[in-house]
Amino acid sequence: MSGCILVVEDQMDNRQILRDLLGNAGYQLVEAENGEEALAAVAKQRPDLILMDIQLPVMDGYEATRRIRANPDLKSIPIIAVTSYALAGDEAKALAAGCNAYVTKPYSPRHLLAKVQEFLPS
Amino acid sequence: MFLKYVVLFFAVVLVALVTNGAFEVWFSYQEYKSSLIRIQREQAEAAAAKIGQFIREIEAQVGWTTQLPWSAGTVEARRFDGVRLLRQVPAITELSQLDATGHERLRVSRLAMDVVPPPGSEIDYSKDPKFTEAVAHKVYYGPVYFRRESEPYMTLSLAGTRRDAGVSVAEVNLKLIWDVVSQIKVGEHGHAYVVDSQGRLIAHPDISLVLRNTDLSQLAQVQAAQARARGAPADQVQEAEEVRGRRVLTAYAPVAPLGWFMFVELPIEEAYAPLYATLYRSFLLLLAGLLLALIAGLFLARKMVVPIQALRVGAARLGAGDLGQRISIKTGDELEGLADQFNDMAGKLQDSYADMENKVETRTQELAQSVGELRALGEVSQAVNSTIDLETVLNTIVTKAAQLAGTEAGAIYVYDEAQNEFRLRATYGMSEELITAMQDQHASISEAVSDLTAAREPNQVADLLDQPSAPVNAIMIKAGYRARLLVPLLAPDGPVGALVVRRREPGEFPKNTVDLLQTFAAQSALAIQNARLFSEIGQKSQQLEVASQHKSQFLANMSHELRTPLNAVLGYTELILDSIYGEVPEKARTTLERIQSNGRHLLGLINDVLDISKIEAGQLTLSLTDYSIKGVVHNVYGAVESLATSKNLALKVELPKDLPPAHGDERRLTQVLLNLVGNAIKFTDTGEVAIRTSIANGSFTVAVHDTGPGIAERDQGKIFEEFQQADSSITKQKGGTGLGLAIAKRIIEMHGGRLWVQSELGHGSTFAFTVPVNVETQVGH
Repeated sequence: MSGCILVVEDQMDNRQILRDLLGNAGYQLVEAENGEEALAAVAKQRPDLILMDIQLPVMDGYEATRRIRANPDLKSIPIIAVTSYALAGDEAKALAAGCNAYVTKPYSPRHLLAKVQEFLPS
Repeated sequence: MFLKYVVLFFAVVLVALVTNGAFEVWFSYQEYKSSLIRIQREQAEAAAAKIGQFIREIEAQVGWTTQLPWSAGTVEARRFDGVRLLRQVPAITELSQLDATGHERLRVSRLAMDVVPPPGSEIDYSKDPKFTEAVAHKVYYGPVYFRRESEPYMTLSLAGTRRDAGVSVAEVNLKLIWDVVSQIKVGEHGHAYVVDSQGRLIAHPDISLVLRNTDLSQLAQVQAAQARARGAPADQVQEAEEVRGRRVLTAYAPVAPLGWFMFVELPIEEAYAPLYATLYRSFLLLLAGLLLALIAGLFLARKMVVPIQALRVGAARLGAGDLGQRISIKTGDELEGLADQFNDMAGKLQDSYADMENKVETRTQELAQSVGELRALGEVSQAVNSTIDLETVLNTIVTKAAQLAGTEAGAIYVYDEAQNEFRLRATYGMSEELITAMQDQHASISEAVSDLTAAREPNQVADLLDQPSAPVNAIMIKAGYRARLLVPLLAPDGPVGALVVRRREPGEFPKNTVDLLQTFAAQSALAIQNARLFSEIGQKSQQLEVASQHKSQFLANMSHELRTPLNAVLGYTELILDSIYGEVPEKARTTLERIQSNGRHLLGLINDVLDISKIEAGQLTLSLTDYSIKGVVHNVYGAVESLATSKNLALKVELPKDLPPAHGDERRLTQVLLNLVGNAIKFTDTGEVAIRTSIANGSFTVAVHDTGPGIAERDQGKIFEEFQQADSSITKQKGGTGLGLAIAKRIIEMHGGRLWVQSELGHGSTFAFTVPVNVETQVGH
């Protein structure tokens, strides 16, 4: 079964890489460019996994994650934080907000795919 | 001590008395004895003389009858002479006359008829000793004999000097000797007696002894007397036994013509009775004396020891510090003198103590004042140094200054640059009205303070009433203040204010008050400068903090902004290399790998710069979790294995079995080891790189050994500094920021460990670090 993955990423190139990587791996992708769009997409599509960038315009990834987690219907969806914040404490902050895993940018697409497959076997 | 004195005194008296008594007794005994002997001897001599006289008289009377020779005169005439002689001399009881041939021619007697033998019938006495001895020695004393067992007689014959005178023989009654002997009275039981030259007893008060013809020649005194009479040397015997065995004092005298001895003797016990009495009296006296001595000794010892005891107790109490007590001894002698001296000494000590106490009290007060001033200064200094708030400091200073100066009010003016005037900044003891009144006059007050501080010297007014009228003075006089002391607060570049104290009592301020206020003024000036500096520093540090925040934010942002495009570069490259977009020609693949490598290097640089800026900002914090050192080593091995292989280097790992689970920042330790191993591989062209792990004393030691070129000793310290490599040309050859080792060292130190290098040019290098197995808290910031 190929799951549906919501990619929340404001940067076009990075969306493209994920699209190419995950599409190639057989996942179905839904994209959002900020936290609000992400919330809308989650409500509409109900993805099986979310790759959440943290620094986003309008609403950042922390806030979006918290809101998803606040919704009983959605809170079981795994969320992997994908961020270029590499300061100590960022990972803890992401996990505290409700993320299930944390991947720093720049990531190796290969490694990211492996991480996705942990939650969503292709 | 008491007993000692008593015994001593008693012994002295005892020795004196006993010695004296003994000498007395001995000498009086000797004297008494010799005087007794002398008396006895005199008695004996007198008696002996009497007897001698008696015999000589008889001799003389008898001598008359031998004057005529037988040829002249008739027998009848001789008889007549004989009868007359008997009549004249009662002691002669019979007289017989022998002619020259020894024949008795006449005998007249009181007891018998006179005998005139007819011629031819005369008794021949020519062989009789009374004739032969008399003819030979002119006189003959016959032995004593007794008639009727009661009366002693002696034959005395005398030869005439002329031829044919014949010999007259008289029988002499010696009763007179008895009388003489019995008349001699010697004491109570003493007696006299006479012995003849042979030692036979002739006369004795006890007749029976005489009649028994007692021989006394064995008695010591008799033998001595006989010996002396013969001219032989003999001791005079003074004490001896008499015939009845009693001990007697004895003395004698020779009876001159007869060779007899007159003895006078006195029984010892009687002789010495008075002596014994004296002895007894002496003994009693001695006892009495000793008793007296004992009493006197007790009394004297008591008299001496009691005051000494009092002295000792007193001295002990003085010694113990009871100087108020006095020793009371009224003996009137040296002891009293000594006690007086003790008392005197105690008095002087007491005085000097009192004096000393006064001095101590004075000094204590002075000290207390000094301490008070010092404490005030201390508090002021503390306030100056610890309080940035100038208001608080100045209030403290003015309060302490006014209190220590003994004034009712105080104020501090501080020059305000913005207003260009001296403003009232702190007050003490001033009412709100007064402060308000002064603030109303701030311009003129500022002017006055400015004028006074310009002199840079303390300025005092003993009485404001004597001063020319001025607005400030008027206010102060109205408030009741009369004396004023102003001390300028001097900073290096001029007066910055003034400390003023005001007193209701007019009068000069003493010099030490002025000095004290100058000290306070200096502190105030310091505080004002400090406050200005503080405020400047505060502003600067605020600016710095803002700048620092900007910098941190900028770094964070930049890090993020750099990573985002880098992510795209690296991501696309990997996707292309992974043939997501179709097969990649081999040539392009190589190029893509170079892109990937450079991208990763860029990422490393970004990470290093970010780390070092975090370290500088003190923002680097460890994330302490459970980890496995084995896992760290394996991760690093996995990350660099391909790199080592690509350089044809052997990559070795030495790991002991059973390493314990550890606690620390796994990601950072991995970063450190990766850096060390990465460097080793980077700088080593041939040979091997070995990772050796060991555990000892609760710490892991991880050493990375390579067979690279090595590092000169002078460069070994430098490589841990930021942006430093052993050789700056290396950067160009090998790349790297030169931040890796500085960061690694810092991370290890934050774990409480140590990172060091051992190396020699041409012999490879060993970079090693130790970290405690369990790191519970981060060391340093």
